Amino acid sequence: MTSRLKLTTWLPVLLVAIFLVIQLFPVIWVISASLQTPEALARGPSNRLIPDTLYLGNYVRAFDTSPLLQYLLNSTIIAVLTIGLTIILAAPAAYAIEKMRFSGSRIVLNYFLLGLMIPVFVSLLPIFQSLGFFGLRNTYWAVVLPQVGFQLPVAIYLYTSFFRGIPNELLEAASIDGAGVFRTFWSVAVPLSINATITIVVYNFIFVWNEFVFANTFLTNDAIKTLPVGLNDFVSDMGRRDYGATYAAIVVSVLPTVALYLFLNRRVIDSMTAGAVRG
Amino acid sequence: MRKNKLLGTPSWAGWLFVTPALVLFTAVVIVPIGWSFYLSLGAWNGLGKWRFTGIANYLNMLGDTVFRQALLNNIFFSLVGSAVQLVVGMAMAVSLISIARFRNVIRVAYFLPAVISSVAISQIFVQLLSADPEGFINGALKSVGLGSFAQPFLSNTGLTLLIVTLVDAYKFCAIYMAIFYSALVSLDQDVLAAAEIDGANWLQQLFLVRLPLIWATIAASVVLVVSGTLRGFDIPFVMTGGGPGTSSELVSTYMYKTLFRQSNFGYGSSLAIFLVIECLLIVVIIRKAFSATEKTG
Repeated sequence: MTSRLKLTTWLPVLLVAIFLVIQLFPVIWVISASLQTPEALARGPSNRLIPDTLYLGNYVRAFDTSPLLQYLLNSTIIAVLTIGLTIILAAPAAYAIEKMRFSGSRIVLNYFLLGLMIPVFVSLLPIFQSLGFFGLRNTYWAVVLPQVGFQLPVAIYLYTSFFRGIPNELLEAASIDGAGVFRTFWSVAVPLSINATITIVVYNFIFVWNEFVFANTFLTNDAIKTLPVGLNDFVSDMGRRDYGATYAAIVVSVLPTVALYLFLNRRVIDSMTAGAVRG
Repeated sequence: MRKNKLLGTPSWAGWLFVTPALVLFTAVVIVPIGWSFYLSLGAWNGLGKWRFTGIANYLNMLGDTVFRQALLNNIFFSLVGSAVQLVVGMAMAVSLISIARFRNVIRVAYFLPAVISSVAISQIFVQLLSADPEGFINGALKSVGLGSFAQPFLSNTGLTLLIVTLVDAYKFCAIYMAIFYSALVSLDQDVLAAAEIDGANWLQQLFLVRLPLIWATIAASVVLVVSGTLRGFDIPFVMTGGGPGTSSELVSTYMYKTLFRQSNFGYGSSLAIFLVIECLLIVVIIRKAFSATEKTG
């Protein structure tokens, strides 16, 4: 009996240790590799986890030889526009569905939730053609609009389940005090839903920052590409010539989400699981 | 249902609030399905005239050996990928609730790959698996005396599908860890204490008490993981491009190349329609299966 007790004590610790190494190793390895000199990297397998020096030349070359800074800026602008537009469209829609309960609102909600099951691939060619028709290819809107469209179901789902928790009496009190439909939404419901909004913003940020398919299809100019697409091009372009700069570019591309994650860690986990588990 | 309606809100106000989202969603998500279906019924390369060919594209899929290979690969990718994500996610969650300290820090560390872009994850693994220059994995194999296994991994047609499946599972398994973990920690401690008093050992507690109690969460996760893997694209596309040959081709990567490399818009659209129907159908079947077991069990 005592040996079994021991087993249940050390086995989980061992498993946790193994999982930790597996989950952290690739990121630690690429950071470490990005800080080694080209000579050290050329000396053989880049398998030393502790670099001899803190060499930053790889980063300098990565920024010098590619529009990495431009990609960073593009990704930021696209993320801000996508998140902003998703919130502006989803919050009132969810409020109307959950609180105004107009005739047909249940059908409207189910219609939106249908979007959760549709893979983005089916929209690629039609959107590609429409963007060409409207002259929007290689603009920020070329990825913002499709992303917002596909983010709306999750955002509306999260907002409706949040609004369900706000008692109607609270909102009715405002309207008895003379606030109209818009005032009640804007000055009562919106401030109350700040937590839901943060969840949706965090979920969207991770998703939008990492998005690849739309950006890779609709953005072909270097001046407008996002980080994931730029990184992919950079590696196929420079990957065979400058390994150090490649590692540095990878680190730069993951830094914003990792930094956000380090600050808001549990919030990010909760947002991503809330966004994943829907209905 | 209407009894929950807010007092004094006219119906037009509701439609006013919902219409902007409705319009964009319909334009981006719903209209393209019909549009793709229309395109799938013809032959077109984007330049000449669209020509109606009926269901010829769908019939061509039956005889297309690349498509058949991609479909088989997709089944492997979804089955193995889903199993790995659920089992590893569960193992991570169960080991985490079984240790006494540092749970939150470890959970945050576990979750790291899930916040990193699939392009970055793919590129990191391409470097780790590389043979020229010798990547970490080949170097490590040699230094522990397993040099005979060292090879250019992503050129080995027998391994590429397994590799992209595992890297994809690697990126997402922490999501299931987080879902299972929060379900497990919210279990009623009294029930577990009762099981322990009744003499249930650790394994019995896990399989006879804990897992049955979070069965609904597990069922929801199965739907989630399967529909996630059916949409797999980024990691195979970036790591191998479906190759070498068709060794790691998925229906999604094949569709993408047919549309945007070969400009075969008709056939590519029929592959896109196939993907939609596949995703909807399989999710519905899994849901049905789970509700059936709930009724009988």
